[in-house]
Amino acid sequence: MEQEVIIYGIRHLSSAGAFHLRELLERVKPAMVLVEGPSDMTEQMEHIVSEDTKPPIAIMAYTKETPIKTILYPFAVYSPEYEAIRWSFEHQVSCRFIDLPSGTFLAIRDLDLEQKGEENINSYVYQKLDELSGEESQEGFWERNLEHTTKEEDYFYGAREFGKQLRSLTEKSDPSYAENLVREAYMRRQIEKAKKETNGDIVVVTGSYHVEGLLGASPVMTEEEEKKLPFIPSARTLMPYSYYRLSDRSGYGAGNKAPAYYELLYEGMQQNDISYAGYSYLSKIAAYQRNYGHMVSSAEVIEAMRLAVSLAGLKDKKIPNLQDLTDAAITCMGHGHFSEIALAVADTQIGTKIGSLPEGVSRTSVQEDFYRLLKDLKLEKYKSLTAQDLQLDLREKLTVKSEKSAFLDLNRSFFLHQLSILGIHFADYQPVSQDRATWAEHWVLRWTPEAEIEIVEAALKGETIEYATSYVLKERVENSTSISEIAQVIRDTSLCGMESSMIYATAALQRLATEAAAILDIAKTAKDISFVIQYGTIRHLNPEPLKPILEQLFLRGCLLLVGSCICDNNAVTQVIEAMGQINEVSIVHDFLNKEQWIQILHTVAHRDDLNTKASGYAMAILLERSEINGEELAIEVQRRLSKGVPADLGACWFEGLSLKNRYSLIARMSLWEKLSEYLDCLDEEEFKRALVFLRRAFADFTPKEKSDIAENLGEIWNLNPQNVSEILNAQMTEEEEDTLKELEEFNFDDI
Amino acid sequence: MKQKSQIQRMPAEELFQDEIEALIKAEKDPIPTGWKMSPRSVLTYITGGKVGRKVITPKYIGHKRLVEIAISTLVTDRALLLIGEPGTAKSWLSEHLSAAINGDSTKVIQGTAGTTEEQIRYSWNYAMLIAQGPSKEAMLKSPIFRAMETGTIARVEEISRCASEVQDALISMLSEKRISVPELAMEVPAQKGFSIIATANTRDKGVNEMSAALKRRFNIVVLPSPSNLKSEMEIVKTRVEQLSENLDLNAQMPTEDVVEKVCTIFRELRDGMTLDGKQKLKTTSGVLSTAEAISLLANSMALAGSFGSGTISEYDLAAALQGAVIKDEEKDGMAWKEYLENIMKKRGGAWSDLYRECKELNN
Repeated sequence: MEQEVIIYGIRHLSSAGAFHLRELLERVKPAMVLVEGPSDMTEQMEHIVSEDTKPPIAIMAYTKETPIKTILYPFAVYSPEYEAIRWSFEHQVSCRFIDLPSGTFLAIRDLDLEQKGEENINSYVYQKLDELSGEESQEGFWERNLEHTTKEEDYFYGAREFGKQLRSLTEKSDPSYAENLVREAYMRRQIEKAKKETNGDIVVVTGSYHVEGLLGASPVMTEEEEKKLPFIPSARTLMPYSYYRLSDRSGYGAGNKAPAYYELLYEGMQQNDISYAGYSYLSKIAAYQRNYGHMVSSAEVIEAMRLAVSLAGLKDKKIPNLQDLTDAAITCMGHGHFSEIALAVADTQIGTKIGSLPEGVSRTSVQEDFYRLLKDLKLEKYKSLTAQDLQLDLREKLTVKSEKSAFLDLNRSFFLHQLSILGIHFADYQPVSQDRATWAEHWVLRWTPEAEIEIVEAALKGETIEYATSYVLKERVENSTSISEIAQVIRDTSLCGMESSMIYATAALQRLATEAAAILDIAKTAKDISFVIQYGTIRHLNPEPLKPILEQLFLRGCLLLVGSCICDNNAVTQVIEAMGQINEVSIVHDFLNKEQWIQILHTVAHRDDLNTKASGYAMAILLERSEINGEELAIEVQRRLSKGVPADLGACWFEGLSLKNRYSLIARMSLWEKLSEYLDCLDEEEFKRALVFLRRAFADFTPKEKSDIAENLGEIWNLNPQNVSEILNAQMTEEEEDTLKELEEFNFDDI
Repeated sequence: MKQKSQIQRMPAEELFQDEIEALIKAEKDPIPTGWKMSPRSVLTYITGGKVGRKVITPKYIGHKRLVEIAISTLVTDRALLLIGEPGTAKSWLSEHLSAAINGDSTKVIQGTAGTTEEQIRYSWNYAMLIAQGPSKEAMLKSPIFRAMETGTIARVEEISRCASEVQDALISMLSEKRISVPELAMEVPAQKGFSIIATANTRDKGVNEMSAALKRRFNIVVLPSPSNLKSEMEIVKTRVEQLSENLDLNAQMPTEDVVEKVCTIFRELRDGMTLDGKQKLKTTSGVLSTAEAISLLANSMALAGSFGSGTISEYDLAAALQGAVIKDEEKDGMAWKEYLENIMKKRGGAWSDLYRECKELNN
């Protein structure tokens, strides 16, 4: 008997493909099975078929050097490739991948990128296909015509024809057409090789698009040509995958929008019940709705099924497809509104299924590092699906002997912070109360299989958790455009205990800080860095490298301050915030030039051409730091609040002054005497203006503070405190209300 | 078109008689019991297409899938409930569905707050009832009763305006598919093909909430406002054309430009933002539905035909817009003025004439 090579065209992730392929394999009983997939991944097959492997899984190959590039081959339980590999291992038939090796793939991908970006005729072909199929999308067309086939040969020829037509329409303008030709030539070479190895039949499983390329007369790759293929070193691994990701990546052909639904289709195929998927899909939506407290009767499910069947009838088909079923569910169970069943539909179409691999199978170095650290840090018991609390005390434990256990919690903290930088969802940081914030941390740990996937993906960034973290931090520094962003990175490096990254970020900060920046940006950055210097010691961090940069920022803050104080009343709020922060920094750190700061404050406080609110605030800081005495204050008050000065400027100054140390201000009788004198010297119109601003200055005083002030003034005006209090707390008369109303209509236009 | 009749508004099956006949003649697919044509032909009738050489005008534009769902519902002998904001062509669709399926869209109950249970079921010719006692001849059958007997479709308009006990009467009729007449000790079962198409408003005030029990007996299809400017303009143009033929408006059809302006204004005020989504607007108290845009243009045509030059001028349009937009003097007036100043004025160019006329009316 002549040796036969059967090229079986499929669509990746096709339940009917998987089912019919097995039928064919059972019938033909080939001596060898060849599958489209990187040829250097054949070694992974034994893990793919292992009993403990639960799809969805994916084979991933990635470059070992930056920039990292990856290729990914996801397999679900209904993938024809997965089915082919399983069948081969069950029947001890040799099976291998025959596509280009992953290193070549990754190298080609690089070349390919440059040609992309142009609109081509292909999107038009797909659009036309959507229109002509009479369905909402070609997805629906494919399902209706191929996934519902019950005969093996229907699928075989149907898929082949689909691929052939698509190819003839798109090949001329497809930017990856050249790549396809190379791949097919390589696959043909592999097939020729296989032919020599066996006399039995061979089944080749490949995307339906490639069938033509493998059948036709196109050339077989020669050995010399194979040697010329570009190649970059790559690593390969198996990784667990999830239905969610499968649906998420449906864009580039390796995905599937409704994996959970396709699994139902596959189950239905195996039970020889093609309507099974429809029934189960609708019942599952109903069950989900009931679970979450929505009434859905069985009658509605039955009606939805009938409606779906009659919708399919409009297209001359007996079996409803996903679109029919979903529309029927919306009409019958969602009362016409998709939003009512949106969650149920997502759950039933996509599902939450996550794959798993046997213990220890082809772990990436990051995974190994992760599990080693988990064990080292005694965190293994937290790797469970229920959320658990973890309280950390970062201080050294004096009761234990070894250094390792003395700083166990600190190292745990580093580890967990690193995970959250890497975007691995295992631990959630919870804020703790202020008084313990420097040494206590509260985490909630919960393991999800998704986290496993995220760890595998971290392998792209580095060999260990720490390397990967430093890679991410470095990238963040490089992408930063403002100094406050880098300051945030520096804070993160201190949380992760990564000194080398911190030094790197600090250098970047230094470069960026020389460029122009707003004073508030500088003040915030200085505050962040000051925080790290102050509390870094508890995390065993050497603060020395940070000191010069803080000095530099502090100096710039000092130099910018006076200039920034020439501003309007809107901008002054930011200047005041910056002034406060720089002041705090100057108090905390001895190595900063205090005298210079005080000098600057004096300048701001005494110059008349700056924003008076800023001047008032500078005065308040000086007062708080006892740099001026009561006498000087009294003189300044008199100068600022005198008849010659416009009322609004005077009041603004007072507002700035009263932003700080209120208690000592309230207690200072001389201040209130000056204020009283000032008010007395104003005429009617000036008084009205001043009143408006003073009212605002006192707006955020507490009632207690206000009544204290009223008492002070009452004393100055020789009023009985009790009477004052009575007047203050009495109901307003109509007349007074009118007066107040008048004030509200006060014309601000000329201020 | 055929000769003009004296009837103000002809039922759909007479207006489009030739189309229905052409579809029936060319029928190839199986026809459900009690229907005049196959579901697919009904779909062609509603969404437009071609039968042989005869062009079928589209009756409902956009959202073909919703029409498919509506027809499929009726194939499964389920009752159909069309809900949506005013002016989203609910009654229009229901009329055409029954016209295509039965060739008869006249078995209608117009729901009001005064609709009684007898009007849903049956009542009596009391003179005959007293003279002869209860008999079949003395019975006055409701449209639903007649639809059950003949296996056809009855329509209930504005079902949510009916009192809840009247709605309740429908529940048993829909689930049992029969009417019992205790006075005559008989039961009338529904023939195959019987169904009900009901319509309900979501936005009108003073309507009765439908009970969950009743809702469960319907397949509900929500009819949305037209999804984009283009499809809304197409709807308005088609309908204004049909209307003007019927009503002998001696004016020219509104130009593309006028239709676009009206639809743009309506859509922007309805959605509370400009078409490009960049600016937020105040909405008005009225719904400003597509149906209103259609009647606005028909009105303007009438004005122009009877008192003007025969083409719709900016002046006619401004007056019509003023009337359509401002339903509540104070609130809508504000919104409209803001729209004029903030949006229309700044568009300039082709809009400036209309802006001037509108502004004039508001001074």
